[in-house]
Amino acid sequence: MPKRKIQRERPKEKFSYDPRKVLKMLDEHARRILEDIKAGKNPHFDIPMRGLSNVYFDEKSRLIKMGDKLSRRYFLNVAHARKFMQTLLIMAYVKRLVSEGKHASLREAYYANKHTIPGTRENTFEDQSESDPIIEDLERMFGVLREEMHITADRRGYIYGDIVIRDGEDEFNASRLGSGGWAVPGTVEHIQFPEINVDYALVVETAAMADRLIEEKFPKRENALIIATQGQASRGVRRLIHRLHYEEGLPIIVFTDGDPYGWYIYSTIKQGSINLAYLSDKLATPESKFVGMTMDDIKKYGLENVTEKLKGIPPNKKGGPTGDYKRILEEMNYPWFQNKEWQRQLQLALKWGVRIEQQALANKSLEFVAKEYLPEKINNGDLLP
Amino acid sequence: MAEANQLFKEFKIQSVSEFFRRNAAMLGYTGKVRSLTTLVHEAVTNSLDACEEAGIPPYVRVEIEELGNEHYKVVVEDNGPGIPEKYITHVFGKMLAGTKAHRNIQSRGQQGIGISGAVMFAQITSGKATRVITSTGNDEIIEAWVKIDVDKNEGKIVKKEKHPNPKGWRGTRIELEVKNVKYMRSKQGVFWYLKLTAIANPHAHIELIEPDGKLIVFPRSSDYIPEPPVEMKPHPKGVLTDDVYRLAKKTRRNTVRRFLIGEFSRISDKKVDELIEYIAALRLIKTVEDKKLQEQYYQKLMEGHVKAVLRAFKGYTKVVKQVAKMMEKPPEKLTWHEAEEIVEAFKYMKFLAPPTHGLRPIGEENIEKGLKGILKPEFVTAVTRPPKVYSGGIPFQVEVGIAYGGEIPAGFDLYRYANRVPLLFDAGSCVTTQAARSIDWKRYKIDDLDRAPLVLMINVVSVHVPYTGTGKQSIASVDEIYNEIRLAIMDAARRLQTYLSGKHRKLAQVKRRKTFEKYVPEIARALSILTGEPEEKIREYFIRFIESKFASAEVEEVAAEEVAENA
Repeated sequence: MPKRKIQRERPKEKFSYDPRKVLKMLDEHARRILEDIKAGKNPHFDIPMRGLSNVYFDEKSRLIKMGDKLSRRYFLNVAHARKFMQTLLIMAYVKRLVSEGKHASLREAYYANKHTIPGTRENTFEDQSESDPIIEDLERMFGVLREEMHITADRRGYIYGDIVIRDGEDEFNASRLGSGGWAVPGTVEHIQFPEINVDYALVVETAAMADRLIEEKFPKRENALIIATQGQASRGVRRLIHRLHYEEGLPIIVFTDGDPYGWYIYSTIKQGSINLAYLSDKLATPESKFVGMTMDDIKKYGLENVTEKLKGIPPNKKGGPTGDYKRILEEMNYPWFQNKEWQRQLQLALKWGVRIEQQALANKSLEFVAKEYLPEKINNGDLLP
Repeated sequence: MAEANQLFKEFKIQSVSEFFRRNAAMLGYTGKVRSLTTLVHEAVTNSLDACEEAGIPPYVRVEIEELGNEHYKVVVEDNGPGIPEKYITHVFGKMLAGTKAHRNIQSRGQQGIGISGAVMFAQITSGKATRVITSTGNDEIIEAWVKIDVDKNEGKIVKKEKHPNPKGWRGTRIELEVKNVKYMRSKQGVFWYLKLTAIANPHAHIELIEPDGKLIVFPRSSDYIPEPPVEMKPHPKGVLTDDVYRLAKKTRRNTVRRFLIGEFSRISDKKVDELIEYIAALRLIKTVEDKKLQEQYYQKLMEGHVKAVLRAFKGYTKVVKQVAKMMEKPPEKLTWHEAEEIVEAFKYMKFLAPPTHGLRPIGEENIEKGLKGILKPEFVTAVTRPPKVYSGGIPFQVEVGIAYGGEIPAGFDLYRYANRVPLLFDAGSCVTTQAARSIDWKRYKIDDLDRAPLVLMINVVSVHVPYTGTGKQSIASVDEIYNEIRLAIMDAARRLQTYLSGKHRKLAQVKRRKTFEKYVPEIARALSILTGEPEEKIREYFIRFIESKFASAEVEEVAAEEVAENA
């Protein structure tokens, strides 16, 4: 077996969770509004704009970042007044949550603030689709995560590996919780890691593959932490990955299906997403690497028989490109895929018109992935940037 | 012989009451509700006319007392000049001798039968005489019971009393007892009639006491008393053979030429010379046997080439001389045929438009006052169009008033008038209804006419209002009148539109302000939680801020920059 190359690095960030930061932000903004109205000025919030027009790829940090375009939300403007009121309502709610140490889901935040405005037939919030954007606005405006404001998202994903986790009053080892591992909560801000006994974290797209690796004792043998994203990584998982990398120095290796969707999962873990561009420096981990599946794996491991055809119409056919082909072409234009390794993989996928799943490796044998494929590739540094 | 006398007498009795019955529809006495309205109309018209002629601001009080089933006493009292004793029978008794019937004058009275018709109606339904109490303001008040003597077709005082008049009361009170009528508060009833009358006569104070004792007051809203209309000479284009024939018999002028110049408008000495040529030409054309050729001559005459037509006939000067001779004979010798010839020639000739000084519109200001005073709308406007002429020689004038909102209930209403008199029947066939419905009201910010709180008032003023049918309750669809009504409505509607768009703007302003105000309690509570300042104080800051912004002109700027927030 080749010598292990992957090792823990020096931490770059420190555990930084501090509820007082959010409270300070809330106080600052509320005071400014109050000063404005006292001075007879039309009070407003300056909210960084959402959407593609205010998003760019920062070459230096290699992150999708939010531009500096602001939209101003006035009180005395018929089109803004309602949102202005809603913003303050959510701010007051966040203050209560944070100071009381409670967490609420997005839906709870919606119901907690929904009521009929006295003297009207109008509700403060008519739908959750009204409260969610306000919460996002606050994230952008304050530069904090909604998890830091104690508002949690849906949870998804779990981890397994020899690390000790402190979650509130509980402390436990994530390799002693049975084969199901530890489910990542919606908010991981307050989670601390008193002990880390692994060399790197392997992010796995499918739960089936993660379970396979756990069963094959891959974490113990390879000294790795398994992080199952179960599809697109949730905010909690992405934040956990980010923290494990920057606060604990764990190298991040991503293992997804060899298809446009899998590569996109990698892309959001690495660079952040357009939707959450304003949170890239808290959620993304640009140093993460990609182990597979790649197009070269098909040839290298003789998996030609277990490929699947790409969906959609190829670019050279009438009506094309659509479906997978279109996604691949889009991904080829991503700034972070502008290197010859990735361009080669994407080109091959287009050329062959095939995709390859993680589980296709079971074609060799159930242990193959845990005992040969991954150790070989990782220890040989056969990784994509 | 005695038998024959008796018979003749019977016949005469028959004829006067028979005439009344046969012409009940024409006189307005059909239907139980309508008969009562007509009765009140005649009495009120009498009062208003008398007051106006004497220059007194009218005060008219109508009282309707229910005596039994379909049995009422109608009392109409005014503050007019009063009736001198010897004229009482003349005023209340003369059937079909109305002084206005054959005068070329704009008048309220349309039926030409007036108050005497009311007396007659009371008499034939209840058998009772009409009680008249009147004084000219001197030292005595006369109380008289008047009946119509059907033998002689004139008024008869059956009982008379004189009372002292220590307080110098002046005016007339008449009491009519009628049967076979019904009081209803419908749109054809007395209440509605008086309401519409009050609108068109803002200088009058009108009161009504209904059978149940309820007093309704339509107060005076203008001090201006309209001048009484003046008689206008008929215009040649508007006369019938009968008019010419009848006037010729009555005139004091001694030749036909002087008669024509003197009794008609727009006829000069030169016009009579022209008339002679036209009559001569017409006589000659009639001798032509070839129909086609005859048609050509008529055409030429219509184009005004009278000389050319005459020259086409040999010995035409002889005919001209004959006609010229006719012009120099005494007018009473004018034959029906000759009158016919004159009227026919008038049709081919050209005349100046008739004078319009005799028309008495209500006037824009007074219409507005009337509508405002009675309907209490939030917006009112009126348009009085300049006089126009229809069918060549009959002057008329159209007035339109619009009242909108305020106390007016939802639903479009059209108030029709002819010479200030409300028209309550046959609305469907009336030119005013057609004109009002032809307007595209959406263009004037009235999106749903049938639900708009809108009253449209139309008054057609003319010496001869062209009525349809005998009821005289609907104006015929004459193109010239139709077009004038439309123009007047559109003019008034444009002003309404301007008002409404201003109102919409104001409403939007109020609405906008509310948008902000309703959020203040929410904002105050949130900010209070966030900053710890008292909620009440924060609320005050915001309210004061909104007030200052809406008080200043900056509001427009705020409105202008209202671009949807980028979201």
